[in-house]
Amino acid sequence: MKKIILTLAFITAFVSLSAVAETSTRTGDALVTVNGLVCDFCARALEKVFSKEAAVKAIDVNLDTKIITINFNDGQSLSDDRVTELVLDSGYNVEGIERAE
Amino acid sequence: MRYLWVALIGIGLLIPNVVDARPVSYPSGWTYMLMNDGMKNTAHVHYSPTAKVSVGYKFEYWRDMDFSLHAVQVNNLIKRWNQRDSQANFYFKSGVGVVNSSASSSDSGNELGGFFGMATDWEDRRYFVAYSNRYTHAGNSGEFFTQSARAGWAPYEGDYGDLHTWLMLQVDHTPEAQDNFTITPLVRLFKGLHLMEAGINNHGEILFNYVYRY
Repeated sequence: MKKIILTLAFITAFVSLSAVAETSTRTGDALVTVNGLVCDFCARALEKVFSKEAAVKAIDVNLDTKIITINFNDGQSLSDDRVTELVLDSGYNVEGIERAE
Repeated sequence: MRYLWVALIGIGLLIPNVVDARPVSYPSGWTYMLMNDGMKNTAHVHYSPTAKVSVGYKFEYWRDMDFSLHAVQVNNLIKRWNQRDSQANFYFKSGVGVVNSSASSSDSGNELGGFFGMATDWEDRRYFVAYSNRYTHAGNSGEFFTQSARAGWAPYEGDYGDLHTWLMLQVDHTPEAQDNFTITPLVRLFKGLHLMEAGINNHGEILFNYVYRY
């Protein structure tokens, strides 16, 4: 029984640390180059999906450069994997992600 | 604002279109469409739980064939090709529901009906091409095939939030119809949540489409 409790405690601690790492280690704005960004509808899709994330403060979409700039709340961020997942959920592809410090 | 909505719905139900503007929206997006051309008037409300599917209610009134259809419509984005400066899509669209017409053999005038078809498009910020087709089963009112193609050109590239203007040419082909080819030059205006299209075809019939998406 003690082993089970220790194992559960270890797993819980690991998951918590992973979550903290995801929301606090990369705080710079994300500059994401997106493929398929050809119209306002695409821009609105990305805005709507990203605005549901608690870590996101604002998002700016530039149709000319195909770059979306994601501003995060203080001390928060999203991992590159999560950003890529959200862009895919919106119906588009990520070509590259840069971080502004 | 209420009067504007009533007027738009009224115009929508009076006047048809085969080339839907984006039959699937973004995740948790709602879309209201009134599509009208020389043959039919349609109203379509759909909800997209994901960027790959939408489910909604479709009403159609085919004026010359004199039947109406109330259907549950499902649209599937089968494939999207995202490129740096362009995007292409391939959709399946299908619906099943109740056809109401005087040709029906039932006392109520109602019988089972439905449709299925595909749609594909390609666009960048300057050019747009699309094709769609559909097979419709309307009970005793008949079975028929329709297809539609559209090409468009934007005279300028607007930024996000600007008014976007497109000049388009639509060709519809309905083999069973008396005027089986129609050609419709039209203007598309798109700003924010609103998209409107207006044109007149080679038979003098009005096209008017309105889409509201949020």
